[in-house]
Amino acid sequence: MTMHGAGVRVSTGAAVVGALIVWVALLGPLITLLAHLTPASVVSALSQPGAFQPLLTSVTASLVALAVILLLGTPLAYLMARGRLPFPRIWEAGVLLPLLTPPLVIGLLLIFMVGPATPIGAALSHLNLTASDTFFALVVAEIYESVPFYVLGAMAAFATVDPALEQAAALLGDGRWRTWRRVTAPLAAPGLANALAVTWARAMGAFGAVLIIAYHPFGLPMQIWVTLQETGLRSALPYALVLLVVALPLPVGAYLWSAHARRRL
Amino acid sequence: MLVADFEVARREFSVRVDLHVPAGGRVALLGRSGAGKTTTVEALAGLLRLTRGEIRLGERRLSSAGFPAADLRPGRRGVGLLRQNPGLFPHLTVLQNIGYAPGVTPAAARVAGERLGLGALLGARPRGLSGGEAQRVSLARALQTKVDLLCLDEPFNSLDRPLSLELLDLLRRELEDSATAAILVTHQLEEAQAFAHRLAVLHRGQILQVGDPHELVLRPATREVAELVGYRGWLSSGSQTMALHPDRVYPVGAEAGGEISARVVQVVPQGARMELELEAEGRWRGRFRCRSDRSATIGELMWFAAPGAPVFATAEEPGTALSAG
Repeated sequence: MTMHGAGVRVSTGAAVVGALIVWVALLGPLITLLAHLTPASVVSALSQPGAFQPLLTSVTASLVALAVILLLGTPLAYLMARGRLPFPRIWEAGVLLPLLTPPLVIGLLLIFMVGPATPIGAALSHLNLTASDTFFALVVAEIYESVPFYVLGAMAAFATVDPALEQAAALLGDGRWRTWRRVTAPLAAPGLANALAVTWARAMGAFGAVLIIAYHPFGLPMQIWVTLQETGLRSALPYALVLLVVALPLPVGAYLWSAHARRRL
Repeated sequence: MLVADFEVARREFSVRVDLHVPAGGRVALLGRSGAGKTTTVEALAGLLRLTRGEIRLGERRLSSAGFPAADLRPGRRGVGLLRQNPGLFPHLTVLQNIGYAPGVTPAAARVAGERLGLGALLGARPRGLSGGEAQRVSLARALQTKVDLLCLDEPFNSLDRPLSLELLDLLRRELEDSATAAILVTHQLEEAQAFAHRLAVLHRGQILQVGDPHELVLRPATREVAELVGYRGWLSSGSQTMALHPDRVYPVGAEAGGEISARVVQVVPQGARMELELEAEGRWRGRFRCRSDRSATIGELMWFAAPGAPVFATAEEPGTALSAG
């Protein structure tokens, strides 16, 4: 064994140990959560009357938010990825803005934009919608907090699809929509799934903007906040576990599926 | 019958094409890189808009500069395009790729795949295919679409030569069987001659000459065409330039009427023969090359005949043929 070989071995070992420390540190909060929970505390927290209502509220609001984001964000991400929009930087800035703005500030500004006392709020009231302390407001807040994650992720996913393949499909007789459905979407699907999963996790966990414009109805993050304020840190932990259990499987599943799908391409 | 008379603007020059291809006919478009060959077939396939003129195929108008909104979109024009990049869909199997075009049944795709020797690969995905196999799949896929004109943009250029000629031959037979017209874009004369009924020479966006693939080589109309079809020697005498093709210059004895005297500068083996590089020093002066069955010694003085070599006026650029044949 040469000195050089030994040096490489030592530095590789150090890198592995370093990576391991980072990994454990990142998982630390999850490990801590599980260490502090007893089965009895989870059962008692969840058996209180109305314990599941926040979960139901969060899941339905996030599903609606996700549907809206998917419907409006996908074409936008595709057009941006293909450079079909004039002034692309301006569009990108628009997508980045909600990401860079602190959620609390978004919530505050939403009040002044769509709150009941504003022209948009007045227009909404004609549709029997109120963007303050309603399910609708919760959905709006979740959309603002999570949409950039989807659009940026989807844009990256579409950028990986070779335009030459779309052209090949067109030459073989596919129109734009058929090309999109048969070539673009399947090839971008792994990336889209990842983007959607991250977006779901962000929507489920949205808090800052929600706190300001949708304090009611209680979603899970609100429930955690209120519980820890009223009855202390420990009693909020079971809800934290529920939030993770509901928010995480989709991202993890999407990650595993997209890794598998990418290997096949 | 394809009748194309159009112009497409490019950055350096406009590509002007006036081309007729009869039903079932095969035309090769010969030219250097950047001559406008790809632009031409992309316009035919509907990927580019015309700046002047129109393209008709049979009774249908495919594109026109006057009313581009009515241009038929790619895939609806009856024009196929096969390119150097096979463009296989990585998420589909070979069979699904071949059967991609609307209306192709899996059974028909299977038959087409087997016809091109892809039977064992039909269930595979494109990722593991060799270059030749991928190009075969692309070819089978293009042949499944019922087109009246197939444009071939140097489709087999990334393959080694024997394989590329084999695929071209295969393609020629398929086209003959289906009576499909074709335009082959290439910068290789042998490929063009092996494939096409007619040869069109494109240079800086202009078709300089169209003709029989053999005749055109014997009688290039201009010096540019002569260069593109393989003339390598340029001998001048006064205001005239004679173009010499290495395959059309013959060493002869001085008494046998040789008109060019030249000294051997270099001898290089070329395939089964030798290529001589020569410096002419009689009435005609300049360098040229000649293929010969026998070797020669450097410095040796030899006589050559070049029957039918085209002669151009030196002053005019691009030159006009004064005499040919």
